[in-house]
Amino acid sequence: MRIVICVKEVLDPDAVDNYVLHGKLEIGDDGKTLTQTSIPRLMNAYDEQAIEAALRFRDNGVECTLDVVCVGADPTAILRQAAAMGADEITTVPVENGSVDGHAVAKILAAYVQSKGGADLILCGRQASDDDQGVVPALLGELLDMPVLTIARDVQLEGDRVRVTRVTPEGDEIVEASCPAIVTISNELGTPRYPTTMRTMKARRLQPDQATLESLSLSADDVRPVVAMSKQYVSSVQGNCEFIDGATADDQASALIAKLRAERVIE
Amino acid sequence: MSNALVFCSFDAGRDGIPAGAEEVLTLARKIAAARGVDLDWLVVGAKPAAVDEIAARHGVAHVDQIDDAKLAEASPDLLVAALAGYVSQHSPGLLMMTQTFDARLIAPRLAGRVGAGVVMNVVDLEDTGGGVKATSTAYGGDTRVEYDIAGAAVVGVVADPLLPEPASSSSSPESRSVAVDLGGVDERIQVVQKASTEGPRLEDAQIIVAGGRGLQESENYALVERLAEALGGMAGASRPIVDDGWTDTAHQVGLTGKITRPVLYLAAGISGASQHMVGCTAAKTLVAINTDPDAAIFKYAQYGIVGDCLEVLPALTKAVKGG
Ligand SMILES: Cc1cc2nc3c(=O)[nH]c(=O)nc-3n(C[C@H](O)[C@H](O)[C@H](O)COP(=O)(O)OP(=O)(O)OC[C@H]3O[C@@H](n4cnc5c(N)ncnc54)[C@H](O)[C@@H]3O)c2cc1C
Repeated sequence: MRIVICVKEVLDPDAVDNYVLHGKLEIGDDGKTLTQTSIPRLMNAYDEQAIEAALRFRDNGVECTLDVVCVGADPTAILRQAAAMGADEITTVPVENGSVDGHAVAKILAAYVQSKGGADLILCGRQASDDDQGVVPALLGELLDMPVLTIARDVQLEGDRVRVTRVTPEGDEIVEASCPAIVTISNELGTPRYPTTMRTMKARRLQPDQATLESLSLSADDVRPVVAMSKQYVSSVQGNCEFIDGATADDQASALIAKLRAERVIE
Repeated sequence: MSNALVFCSFDAGRDGIPAGAEEVLTLARKIAAARGVDLDWLVVGAKPAAVDEIAARHGVAHVDQIDDAKLAEASPDLLVAALAGYVSQHSPGLLMMTQTFDARLIAPRLAGRVGAGVVMNVVDLEDTGGGVKATSTAYGGDTRVEYDIAGAAVVGVVADPLLPEPASSSSSPESRSVAVDLGGVDERIQVVQKASTEGPRLEDAQIIVAGGRGLQESENYALVERLAEALGGMAGASRPIVDDGWTDTAHQVGLTGKITRPVLYLAAGISGASQHMVGCTAAKTLVAINTDPDAAIFKYAQYGIVGDCLEVLPALTKAVKGG
């Protein structure tokens, strides 16, 4: 069974949040790129969990090849991390940062999967923590004509069927489809495993395979963004907090409740 | 390309119309007016009773409905096929959806199917003369990004930061039944076990008391639940404590949890990360309890208590009960 896992390199969302909190996030001259080199570049956390989901199949005795692919500028570090976690193959499709949109990434991934003779299962993180768009898996499903089962907390393979427990607003829903299929993984899956030191050491020397737009028979036109990012700025937050003082917790509590009652926020 | 601007709903929801529909219609009307085109409302599946009245209030020209026995369950392959059929008949220039859980999947699949651009997490739109500029949140709301789409587009709109406003004059929308042949479409995803909603939903709660990692231990989540109960509200949570199993996913507030808009949101031991805050900034009054006076949450809060939530929560419960 061939399982392709699509991963993205993102800026550490906690670091971005921290810079924003302190009013220090820097945006470049192009008016849209976050430029601080001090912000770590990480594998999107949901994608790490997608790799974890795949590794659990192997733990459960499913014979599978795990092929991790990344469309991005220089994702060598995160692909080595994927290899250290247990990926059998790691591939990059280099593109310049910010030069492609979700439509283009989906096209590249679809061409990659086809170049490998297809996949039985494709796993993706539910969304990337930078743009939060979460559209690539669905677009990929359209291009490859596969069903897309989203927001999984659990994935099981039973023969050529995939069974997914989805985290919906109404609670867990269990759905099934025939492979090949695409599944997007949510954080409810649980913490991804930490690679052993030995595996990390070994992965350090690995060079990812490289596919290019040419090798995938894609033209520049094919990957021209349909959705072009023109600007990015820090959201404004109204900061007008009134602090409730008091000598003890009880004093503070009574003062707050009195205020909320006076304003008819509570009865 | 580029005829009407279409607002589309299929997520039946509890009252039959997705929460936020009026906010999205308000935004849709702005674009339709800028383009000088009709604003239409497409209902896929059964038409909730209130649609016509709401449509009239927002100056909608046509209420279109695709009804087919196969659409009784909102299953993705059938929904996408129905919507794509509509697009090929009517070629709308812009198709807008309230960003419900289902729309998160349906919008991009439809866009892929019909060759339109797709943008999610949209909080504002502007007509650019045939195309559209969409403003979306990114980094969980820390930043906003503007995207330009030259041609047809499908967008998912986050209604919470928007305000509903009726049209200056109402309309008498014409109802049209749209036939799409779904004969050859089979759903590839089978539901083995449905999600079952039990009791009230956090999205509808008027008062929410939410706890985070500052509660320190799983048992202390009960302090949050007790205050919520005393206030006649519901208990919410940040993601890390849901991940750690202190409470279940239904209580998670935020980007990947529930988007709430209560009258009162009281956050205890929550730092105020952007991804949490998108789920509660629509609250009318936000109160934060945190030991750290520099915690981000105080930037959003109207009232703050710098203190230990393990002491302040029981004190609040006592104050509420004690009158
Ligand atoms: C893509 C993505 C999606 C995400 N989605 C969500 C989401 O939907 N919902 C969500 O909540 N998070 C989400 N997160 C996680 C988010 O970034 C934060 O990590 C999380 O919200 C932090 O939770 P917290 O505030 O409980 O914990 P922490 O950030 O650890 O904060 C704990 C706070 O408690 C305070 N504290 C400590 N002790 C006490 C005490 N005794 N009394 C009072 N205060 C105390 C501390 O000062 C601190 O401010 C997401 C992250 C990413 C990257």
